[in-house]
Amino acid sequence: MNVRVARIVLALGALASPTLARSQVERLAGRMDEGTRAAVVAVVDSARAAGVPAEPLVNKALEGASKGADGARIVTAVRALAADIGRALAALGPSATAPELVAGGAALRAGVRPAFLESLRGRYPRESLMVPLAVMADLVARGVPADTAGESVLALMREGVRDAELVAFRQSVERDIALGAPAGGAVAVRLAGTVPAVAGVTPHSTPRKP
Amino acid sequence: MTGSADDPLIARIAEALRRPRAVRPGFEARVMAAVRAAPPRLPARAWAWLREPRVLAVSPLAGAAAAAVLAGIVIAGAWSATRLARAGGGAERAAAPTAGTAAVVRFVLAAPRARTVSLAGDFDGWDRSRLPMRREAAGIWTVDVPLAPGRYDYAFVVDGGRFVADPAAPPAVGDDFGRPTSVVTVGGGAARVAGGSL
Amino acid sequence: MRDDEPDGALVRRVLEGDTEAFAGLVARHRDRGLRFAASMLGDAAEAEEALQDAFVRAYRSLRTCRDPDRFGAWLLQILVNRCRTRGAGRRRRARLFVGDDGALERAAAPAGADPEWREEIDRALARLDPPQREAFLLKHVEGLDYEEMTRLTGARVPALKMRVKRACDRLRILLGEVPR
Repeated sequence: MNVRVARIVLALGALASPTLARSQVERLAGRMDEGTRAAVVAVVDSARAAGVPAEPLVNKALEGASKGADGARIVTAVRALAADIGRALAALGPSATAPELVAGGAALRAGVRPAFLESLRGRYPRESLMVPLAVMADLVARGVPADTAGESVLALMREGVRDAELVAFRQSVERDIALGAPAGGAVAVRLAGTVPAVAGVTPHSTPRKP
Repeated sequence: MTGSADDPLIARIAEALRRPRAVRPGFEARVMAAVRAAPPRLPARAWAWLREPRVLAVSPLAGAAAAAVLAGIVIAGAWSATRLARAGGGAERAAAPTAGTAAVVRFVLAAPRARTVSLAGDFDGWDRSRLPMRREAAGIWTVDVPLAPGRYDYAFVVDGGRFVADPAAPPAVGDDFGRPTSVVTVGGGAARVAGGSL
Repeated sequence: MRDDEPDGALVRRVLEGDTEAFAGLVARHRDRGLRFAASMLGDAAEAEEALQDAFVRAYRSLRTCRDPDRFGAWLLQILVNRCRTRGAGRRRRARLFVGDDGALERAAAPAGADPEWREEIDRALARLDPPQREAFLLKHVEGLDYEEMTRLTGARVPALKMRVKRACDRLRILLGEVPR
């Protein structure tokens, strides 16, 4: 396994380094037809000019290629992701890290309102919000209403609950849903059972609509 | 550097601020009244999961996952060196906050009838051949992948062409390409095991 | 409560159902909490509210206190967050305590306390950025080391050092020429 892990490490090093967008788009070579590649590069370039990181966009294009999608579908997907991440950037501010933006984009795409992202950033300007945002997105993906997901994560954060516990909370909710609980109800029960101080999601925890 | 011992003015400021502040009478009584009115606490068992270990795995994988975390620490050194060698400025955001917080994630799929299974995702450019999974006993397929903190989409590729979501992981939001996709989030320093059965 | 009973023992008594044992923790940590909140928020009444809020939250979440013998550090962490929340949405008042009437009980007015000097300091503190004020108070008044401050604030050591340095520089400018 050592050789294989070493190879992965090298590959990940390449992905993780603060490289120029050019080396990111070079990863597209040979993976799709030239017209699609050029269209993707154009989307990546303009997104990047707006502060959106290139890597997740390139990954999305590679995902499409790997899954055998046609060029138009790949470009549409990349453009949609760039828009999601751009909205996350607007909500989280220019200091947001790439992982935060990816998670924030997923949360927004899931239907979480930007006001939740703004509220999180306002309250926790110096903490990484990647996991809280990811948990919001994952809860919605399991059927939890977007506002309920946003409110519950905010409520837990206010009580000092952080990454590992947020993930554990999400897992408990997932387990309950898998066992037949309605998604919104599972959140309420777990929330009340987790932090009595926030028993139930209180109305004041809802951020103002933008 | 700025120790108050070095600077008499700062020391005098600190000393003045350390003196007790005025307080209205009955402060403690008010706090205790609020405490008594607080909702009753739940039994300890309800809190137990808040203290769960960070390796979130079901036996018998927990031990392997713990070993994987140790491997991650070793790997992080090599990775860090790689990153330093490649650091060359530029406006691109770094995908990984710090190499030192990388974790090894074990991906697991139970697919007894599969001939080959590989892992494809954001971490390997969705290359269907780069991360082959190893068949363990009883048709359990595994692969360990060192990942920096982040959120990654992925899927299992069964018999070279069939994309299969991870039954144990949250699904990715939206469905861009009409194939199942899962998502794994790696928090700072935490390891987790992704896996399910087919 | 016995004065020599460690925090951890009091925490355990509360968790076993003896709510009144919490009063011992309140008495023991009141002054430190109040001086931090008052310096941080610049308002006596608001400081008391923040501290009361922190105590109640601590009580409700007591089971999550991983090191009951260090209850004070944990409470301070909660209080720092309460002060951040309260401080975020409003302007800090420039004066505090001055002019308060007899309802105020001077918890102690030790010899050598100089109300005017304290007032100057409070005015100067009010002019620091909140993160700098927070870092300065934790470092120089509460005597925390940078590792503890990192755990408590989530900020990294170099950032905290920079905040403390900037706070000190600014306080020197603001207070350096006041004759003492």
